[in-house]
Amino acid sequence: MSDEVPITVTVNGTVHRASVDARTHAADFLRHTLHMTGTHVGCEQGVCGMCTVLLDGDAVKSCLLLAPQLDGHEIETVESLADGDGLNALQEAFRDAHALQCGFCTPGFLMTTTALARDGRRRSREEIREELSGVLCRCTGYENIVTAVERHLSEARGV
Amino acid sequence: MSDVVESPSAPRSGVIGDSPARKEDDRLLRGEGRFADDVTPANALHMAVVRSPFPRARIEAIDISAALEMDGVHDVLVGTDVAARSEPINVLRPTPGAPYVTYYALAQGRVEYEGQPVASVAATSRHIAEDAAELIEVDYDPVEHVPDVIAAMEPDAPVLHPDVLDSNLLVSNPQSVGDSASAIAAADTVVSGRFFVNRVSGLPMETRGIVAEWRPGGRELSVRLSTQTPHLVRSQLAHCLRLDESWIHVVAADVGGAFGLKLGVYPEDLLACLHAMALRRPVKWIEDRLEFFRATTHAREAVHDFRIAADREGRIAAMEDVYATDLGAYYGSFGSAQLSSVTYSGPYRLDHGTVERRVTMTSKTPVGAYRGYGQPEVNFAREVLLDRLARRLEMSPVELRRRNMLTPEELPWRNTTGAVYDSGDYAECLLAAVDRIGYDELRRTGHGPRADGRYVGVGLSSFVERTGYASSRFLAGRGSKFGAHESVTVRANRSGGIDLYTGVSTFGQGSETAFAQVLSHVLGIAYDRVHVHAGDTSATPLNTGAFASRTMIAAAGALEKAAADLRAKTLKVGAWLLEVDDPDELEIAGTVVRVASDPARSVALRDVHEEAILGLRLPEGIEPGLEATAYHEPTHAAFAYGTAAALVSVDAETGDFDVERFVMVHDSGTPVNPQLIDGQIRGGLAQGLGAALREELRYDPETGQLLNGTMLDYFVPTACDMPPIELVHTEVASPVTPFGVRGVGETGTIPAGAAIANGICDALSGLGVEISRLPLTPELVWREIQRARGVPA
Repeated sequence: MSDEVPITVTVNGTVHRASVDARTHAADFLRHTLHMTGTHVGCEQGVCGMCTVLLDGDAVKSCLLLAPQLDGHEIETVESLADGDGLNALQEAFRDAHALQCGFCTPGFLMTTTALARDGRRRSREEIREELSGVLCRCTGYENIVTAVERHLSEARGV
Repeated sequence: MSDVVESPSAPRSGVIGDSPARKEDDRLLRGEGRFADDVTPANALHMAVVRSPFPRARIEAIDISAALEMDGVHDVLVGTDVAARSEPINVLRPTPGAPYVTYYALAQGRVEYEGQPVASVAATSRHIAEDAAELIEVDYDPVEHVPDVIAAMEPDAPVLHPDVLDSNLLVSNPQSVGDSASAIAAADTVVSGRFFVNRVSGLPMETRGIVAEWRPGGRELSVRLSTQTPHLVRSQLAHCLRLDESWIHVVAADVGGAFGLKLGVYPEDLLACLHAMALRRPVKWIEDRLEFFRATTHAREAVHDFRIAADREGRIAAMEDVYATDLGAYYGSFGSAQLSSVTYSGPYRLDHGTVERRVTMTSKTPVGAYRGYGQPEVNFAREVLLDRLARRLEMSPVELRRRNMLTPEELPWRNTTGAVYDSGDYAECLLAAVDRIGYDELRRTGHGPRADGRYVGVGLSSFVERTGYASSRFLAGRGSKFGAHESVTVRANRSGGIDLYTGVSTFGQGSETAFAQVLSHVLGIAYDRVHVHAGDTSATPLNTGAFASRTMIAAAGALEKAAADLRAKTLKVGAWLLEVDDPDELEIAGTVVRVASDPARSVALRDVHEEAILGLRLPEGIEPGLEATAYHEPTHAAFAYGTAAALVSVDAETGDFDVERFVMVHDSGTPVNPQLIDGQIRGGLAQGLGAALREELRYDPETGQLLNGTMLDYFVPTACDMPPIELVHTEVASPVTPFGVRGVGETGTIPAGAAIANGICDALSGLGVEISRLPLTPELVWREIQRARGVPA
């Protein structure tokens, strides 16, 4: 039953070598093997987006990947964002706009937005809504999340 | 941290009315929250649950032998084990007069809903536990089930609990004032309708979860649980597991949304504890999303038969609402919603009224509390029917509402169920909504069609919302197993700060922030020197918990008292240190105690705290220690209120419609934190709009099985699905609560369905379209258009 696969994966700049059960999904590997519990799991069906991480810079849903598929790749999680004692600009934007309530979905939105900020494209509020629609939130009604993301993307572009 | 002496004239931040940075945010933004699945004790086992695939069946046999033989499996529980070692789930919020129809953690020879737990497995990994669960063979003999409340009351319906009930009606609670039958008979106009409210899920993003650990030598069952009510769960666990309450330690750290679904004990909580107690190893269970849809309480499903009688001028003579609320298969910790009765007459003057709640059993997942607790359901029926009355009378729906709304001078008002509306200006909210949505402009331009071919309409929905409980005595009269009070402990520490301990767990509502604000406001200490510890039963005073929009109403009073006690002693010690005779000459300002008239004469709070806590040098008459615990018992519920207005455009051929604007005017009394209030309103609206437009738990009537048990086919709104929302606040302080607050947590869920339905009907008023059910889908609208046109759909 147990089918162990050796993998080497870089998570937030640290190289991890591990042997994983082949059926372990990537979110569980991050959470329960590496103990990086900031990546949350809400549905395990690729719908809710809680588990969004960056894989080689692209936002992906880590519940839809198996841990062996991470082999040789670079992963970034919410734990990579804060700058020591301080929050990064995106996290501050979320805090200032009251863009989180229970906070369970927040890592998914932060990582999705981190990927958006890197391509530097200008996006309208409607386009931001489209981009964020892969992550669900049940507390905020989204308005403040869209506002935080809009402000952050503007600032990231230097406008 | 340096001691900053604030200038006396500078407004302090972090007090009541301010919106400081939330206490909760830093850890949550870093991914450092501690949710149920974030902690796995060394040596933990993992639980999986076998669930019934049938809505109703006899269990002929269960074979667990193959599961037990599997490597890694440590324990399997079946119904007989559970009956021998535990009690059925005890009801915290009974419906008055209802017989006892609750359930054990595992089925006892029969299953009554699809998804009911039948067996459970504890194993070394979740994978193994789930594999083993699949090896458990259950021999079911399916029997006839009951799909809904209408079928449940058919004369030939099978009686689901014949050992307790004669029919599927658990209990009927009629309430009446005046003589509504005569008033209706004598009225000029009577409108009536049957309104169907959809079964939905509150769907927090974090499912349920528990980690249970048993150390018999330490006399401790330690439970980490995703719950809104750690202290109530503790009492339930003690009862159900036949343990002394002092042995049970419940911790709810961060909770990933709750909305009423995480109130009280569920079967799986007991199963995890029973496994842990049998094995003396930690046992963890994290609900998966499919389990969530089948096993975490559902909400709202109801059928309302509503009737309104009025005279020619639109003055309401009587209202009657007889409604069947679907409890599902069993009575869980909270049972089905109870506030439809309390608020059925809304913000309107009513002398003759009858409301009857008929709690009805069906073969579906048990129904529990969900944000709004009956108020969205009844609001839909009443407000849609009021618009029909307006059309019948050829009167403006604005004028009809305004004419019947209670005026500020008429409040306080005891409605026909005995609830007392404390204060407010209901018409102010109505007129503000009408003004903001541009109602009169739309009346001038007409319903269209516009250039884009769509018809436009505006729908209104006015509401009152009961927030908090009137008193513990009020609850006792209804058999409640919890009180109306809240409590807090505040304790000074030697760093110059305050530790604030509350049993209110943190699930998004911002209570850590708001509590710190109230404490800072009364005590005078800087907001950032208050540290909130929440949700740990071993560290916090006994309390009730966060639900029923009651937290701030009850907790603000406790905070106020505790802060006053702490302040008095702090000033007494400060007076001794500053060599001032009268402590009343002193004040706490940020991080110091100082002479109010001479701010330069000050001593650091850190020094005051240290002297008071250590007590090494205190003069005669001052006891060591600097802490206070206070309880507050509310004397009244406060009624929030408001009006929503929706601008809707409709394609009269396809039934497709858009909510182009949504205006929400509401009054939550004195705002402790405006940003949190906006957040609560917007979040509530998102859930209200979801339930109004998209969400529905659908069962196959033939097989009784849930058809949409995943997030792929249960349509929670995304960021793209929200209409533009405009919030308008009015502010009438409640005279019956500390600081004049009203509850705000549930308000947003109430008005959406009726406002949009009324907007659609207004847009299509030329066709005479009427809507009587939720959710409002394009298909539903198309069918009603066909019906109005006399075309068989």
